[in-house]
Amino acid sequence: MFPALLLVTLPLSAALLMLLWPRFARSLHVTVALLSVPLAGYFLQQILLHGEQQWLLGGWSPLLAIRWQADSLSALLLLLSALLHLLVSGYALAVQARDRLPAAFWPLSSLLLASLQALWLARDLFNWYVCLELLGMVAVALVTLSGDKALKPALNYLLFSLFASLCYLLGVALLYAGYGALDLPLLAGQLEANRLNAMALLLITLGLMLKAACWPLHIWLPAAHAAAPAAVSALLSALVVKGPLFILYLVWTELAPQAFWLPASYLFALAALGALLFGGIAALRTPYGKSLVAYSTVAQLGYATLALAFVLRFNLPEFVAALWLFVLAHALAKAASFLAMGELQQTLGSKQVSALKGASQTMPLAMFAFAVAGGSLIGLPPSGGFLAKWALLLGLWQSQQYFWLLVLAVATLLAAAYVFRVVVLAFDRAEPTAPDFAPQRLPQYLALLPALAVWAMALFSMPLLTLLKQEL
Amino acid sequence: MALLLFDLVLCALLLLLAGAAMLSRSLTQAVTLFIAFGVMMALAWARLKAPDLALAEAAIGAGLTGALCFTALVRYAKQPAYPQPALWRPLTFIGLVTALLLASLSQIPLQPSSAIPALVQQHLPQSGVSHPVTAVLLNFRAWDTLLELLVLLLALLGARQAPGDLPRYRGWSLSISWSRLLSPLLLLVSGYLLWRGAAAPGGAFQAGALLASGLVILRLNQQLSWLSWRHFWVRMLVLGGLLAFVLAGAVSLLLQDLGAVWLSWPQSIAGAVILIVESFATLAIAVTLTLLVVGEPKPEVADA
Repeated sequence: MFPALLLVTLPLSAALLMLLWPRFARSLHVTVALLSVPLAGYFLQQILLHGEQQWLLGGWSPLLAIRWQADSLSALLLLLSALLHLLVSGYALAVQARDRLPAAFWPLSSLLLASLQALWLARDLFNWYVCLELLGMVAVALVTLSGDKALKPALNYLLFSLFASLCYLLGVALLYAGYGALDLPLLAGQLEANRLNAMALLLITLGLMLKAACWPLHIWLPAAHAAAPAAVSALLSALVVKGPLFILYLVWTELAPQAFWLPASYLFALAALGALLFGGIAALRTPYGKSLVAYSTVAQLGYATLALAFVLRFNLPEFVAALWLFVLAHALAKAASFLAMGELQQTLGSKQVSALKGASQTMPLAMFAFAVAGGSLIGLPPSGGFLAKWALLLGLWQSQQYFWLLVLAVATLLAAAYVFRVVVLAFDRAEPTAPDFAPQRLPQYLALLPALAVWAMALFSMPLLTLLKQEL
Repeated sequence: MALLLFDLVLCALLLLLAGAAMLSRSLTQAVTLFIAFGVMMALAWARLKAPDLALAEAAIGAGLTGALCFTALVRYAKQPAYPQPALWRPLTFIGLVTALLLASLSQIPLQPSSAIPALVQQHLPQSGVSHPVTAVLLNFRAWDTLLELLVLLLALLGARQAPGDLPRYRGWSLSISWSRLLSPLLLLVSGYLLWRGAAAPGGAFQAGALLASGLVILRLNQQLSWLSWRHFWVRMLVLGGLLAFVLAGAVSLLLQDLGAVWLSWPQSIAGAVILIVESFATLAIAVTLTLLVVGEPKPEVADA
């Protein structure tokens, strides 16, 4: 109980203290970020040793209490969130002297960590609603940190997020009306394939897809993620959109009756197709650097949606592994590319992609970080992105989905095109854009760190695959 | 028969008010209609035998949201007439969802599952309070409530990023004297609601919302100038609910000898713990809502 509980309550109570005493905010924040990582690592080890654990909060009977459950997937996501939180905190500290984030950043990002950790642990439909609401509110507040220009995208994000929450809540209310329970393991396998459940699952799926920015419900994402400060964009793209995806996965694989799996798989496949093609094309066309990275998030989420669609259709462990490998690889690669892009934009003094001309000469480290992360987004071997794509390809080959092999090829080419769009420009060294000030080294190294980590995923491919294939 | 008639009129009125608020050409009218809608909604909750919700709806839906809308209107009075929003998209969505809901409604079991209510009744003596709603909110599903308090805090933190000045107008003497008369009354009623919450409808959210409405009235009449996030004690009040909750959770861990359980208190102290947590939560909700509705005089200074 204790490690799991501390992972949630430590950042939560630290954030409260930070709000009370803003003077100590930074030191408290860093302390908690540093403590969370070994704690999450220890917790993952415990779960791997002793198998999954669960607790009923308050010790009441299962129907009454909120259930927490930690399996290896949850533990892995807990560790990932703690790691990225630490990394982004380090980045925010490193750029502190240059572009000062508002004081509210420290408590808010701690609260973001707390709400994510609470979401990974919960197995209760209503508690998930509260966690989603928290996640949405904290994400919106974080987007507004970059000042007045971010207010409009933030407000849009808020409205979409609230609408999505209400859809989800209505769906949960229908399920509660039908079965009188909110606990996921209790409801699992109970649902019949009738109109009521179809409606409830439709509403829940709509809400979650909107929050997870699945195409065509992604319209709020590019503006919000591009308007936020770089540190925040990294957190939002890497972690926040994965929370609803996690719930979507669990709701469909554990809750939904098998009869609904096939139509749902078509729905998800269609969304994935749109995301992969149109997200890629939009990333290729946008004139702004951070929008490019944000559209790439939309496209990359398409892979995860596709994997989910095939989990529902063919029930192969390869697809489950592919889904979560995509999530892990994308989280690391996207954190790296957002931090690198933020650093490039800040130093070169322009948001335009065209300002990155000659960046390989002026800011080689940040450009290297972007290119390395881009390699994983494309899926070059032996990166994490390649692992995920390989698992997906294996599954597709086994289930003879040749059309989707073609789609994957096109999507990969699109990803390569938008990554190389930046890289080629950066190597155009004829008249490089002069930096506004001497580039800082530490933030660039910090941006490089997750990019290297995503390539290092290849070294742990066997344990990762065995861990993730156990799910389902 | 009379009740059926009442219900029918209420339903018709709700739909009418909602439609009128959406279609109204002037914003002031729309807000007024929206407030009326909130009052009717509270009545509807009362008819649905959910008095806790009715109280909250009356205080927040009709009262505070109305005040929020009106202060926003005062701030943007100079803005040109607002463009009529395109209604066909929301209307299509609402129509679609309503049709699907109606189609699926028939499959909701007539007798709702009684497992949870029975279980709540069975464990009620161990919860420390005698009102089932309070028992669920503050004991059985206390973790949800803790996180909900956090949502409220986050709403405030987010709203603080968009600084808006408190509308400045010299207090109107009649409204000032009325606010002074009204606020002690609201204080009394909210204290009563909090205390009754242990045994009857009421509790921290309703009491906090009511207290907030009193504070909002005073604040809008240019009183309580100390009520600002910059002051340590105001922050303490805002965070007090959550701090008390987290501390109560820590106590619950310390008190259990074996197999420590988060947010579980022995029966002997549960009632006291819940009352303490609820009192702090009431204050926190009241101050948070007040700051949320009326905003603050000055934007935040950058990180030092």
